[in-house]
Amino acid sequence: MDFLAPIVAPAAAQQLPRIHVRSFTMSVDPATLRVGETLKLRITARLDENLLQLDNVTLPDLAGFESLGDERRCGTNGRGTLCEETMTLTPTEPGDHTIAPTTLEAIDGRTGKPSRFATNPVVVHVTPAPQANPFALWLLESLGILVFVAVAGYALLWGFRRRRLPPLEPAQPERKPVMLPVDRLAQLLASLAQDPSRVRVLAVREELRRRAGARDGETLGDLVARRAAGGDTALTDALGAIEAPAFVDEPYVVDEVKRALPILERLLTAAAASA
Amino acid sequence: MNNDFVEGAGVAPKMLLEALQATIVGQETTLEALLHALIAGGHILLEGPPGLAKTLACRALASAAAGSFKRIQFTPDLLPSDIVGTRIFDQRAGAFATVLGPIFANIVLADEINRAPAKVQSALLEGMQEYQVTIGPETHRLPNPFIVTATMNPLDSEGTYALPLAQMDRFLVKVLVGYPSVEEEGRILERFGGEMPALPRDVVSMADVMRWRAQARAVYVEPRLSRYIVDLVSATRAPHEYIDRGASPRATLALAALARARAYVDGRSFALPDDVRAAAPAVLRHRLAFNYKTITDRVEPEALIGGIVASVTAP
Repeated sequence: MDFLAPIVAPAAAQQLPRIHVRSFTMSVDPATLRVGETLKLRITARLDENLLQLDNVTLPDLAGFESLGDERRCGTNGRGTLCEETMTLTPTEPGDHTIAPTTLEAIDGRTGKPSRFATNPVVVHVTPAPQANPFALWLLESLGILVFVAVAGYALLWGFRRRRLPPLEPAQPERKPVMLPVDRLAQLLASLAQDPSRVRVLAVREELRRRAGARDGETLGDLVARRAAGGDTALTDALGAIEAPAFVDEPYVVDEVKRALPILERLLTAAAASA
Repeated sequence: MNNDFVEGAGVAPKMLLEALQATIVGQETTLEALLHALIAGGHILLEGPPGLAKTLACRALASAAAGSFKRIQFTPDLLPSDIVGTRIFDQRAGAFATVLGPIFANIVLADEINRAPAKVQSALLEGMQEYQVTIGPETHRLPNPFIVTATMNPLDSEGTYALPLAQMDRFLVKVLVGYPSVEEEGRILERFGGEMPALPRDVVSMADVMRWRAQARAVYVEPRLSRYIVDLVSATRAPHEYIDRGASPRATLALAALARARAYVDGRSFALPDDVRAAAPAVLRHRLAFNYKTITDRVEPEALIGGIVASVTAP
């Protein structure tokens, strides 16, 4: 890895770079998914210095996930650096997985002391992969046997006649079902209705912001002002409704989710109608 | 604190705001800032050219909130005792008696604060920070609530004294008062062209204000939002081409307090990133030390603050 190189042992203080870390964050998208689906884990560091790479970064333990690849980039505009590492992961076990903070060791430019900066942890809620129906399995097995018998009979019958069979068409690659945005939102809302927790609220909020084309770190006010000409009132209402459960005191998350759900469901209805 | 308080929580503060709006034409930002500072328990610095109703807004606030109001015109020959009070010898009693100065009011207007030298400006410091003043051997508590609203004229720099940073830091917000629009100026002519309209009186009480303050302090700030506030203020301390010194931790507290006040007036029991984002320029603009390059390069400090605020990722 270029900029997010994991370290085996803490580097000696004199080897550490002196940097001013403006922000060091970690996010995940989506925060709720099924076993076998993929998510993006994004680690972002904003520095005041102009660097080509960032060393002494320790990635968290990713037990319960399989890495499918990563992308990395470090860009500077002459007045600071933005380093971003995006990992594509797939969960291997269901449950709530907390990915511990990523850490960065450096000399803090503000204090001049060796410091360990840490991102926020992230929580990923993984539901089991859809179970196959036992009846459907039995039916498939029976059909398979019937097809096998039919094919064998066909081969015997035509094989004796020594006729050349037409060449088989190349097999088409198996297509995975594509999850439409509406399905994904519906799934997230169903999960939220079932378990009105902050984690699920944040997953819905993230999805709504993604649909609205929110820029990194944009507030709702900025986003709505920028989208004013868009006129998608259902989405704007939904974005507004999800703010309360996202920021209210923990004991009131459930009440706020109850207030927000009808507004969020209206968005779903509108999206389904337009689809 | 529970969410029930939200029901009707912002109604009374909004009544006060409407009363101010009925008196002052336009100047929405100034009036909202006055209300938010009143609720957040902070002092406010208004900067703008003369004739923009800065003084009138402060008087209207005091009158509508049924509080005592004193105005001090800052001049180069003003003395600290003209503000805090003094001790005079009572010949009949044969002892010294204390005469309290105009600082003993709920709302004190320090008009053209930068026209008095630093020793006079500093006479306000103890009151602004500790809500008490010391006159001779005695310390006197100031009325509660106590708010200093100060005005500054950015145009006439001759004969003015720069406010020390320590003094600046004590103001919760600095609001830039701009010129009204053409429509607003037409309405100003209609409203103030003849007889001076009466100020709104006793719309709320000082007891109401104290209750709002207590409720606003209980507005919830989610940990991610607290982190955002800290990041915003920390970002001002990062090395910057045009900024020599960033904001102090007092700015962090001020930003949280103002975000809470905004949420409270909006009838919410929790603050949002937009509350912080909206409050940030007014909290930060007077706390940053801009260097000479902002002048030579003709860089607007407001644009720099906007850039810093935009560079920090909101939750």
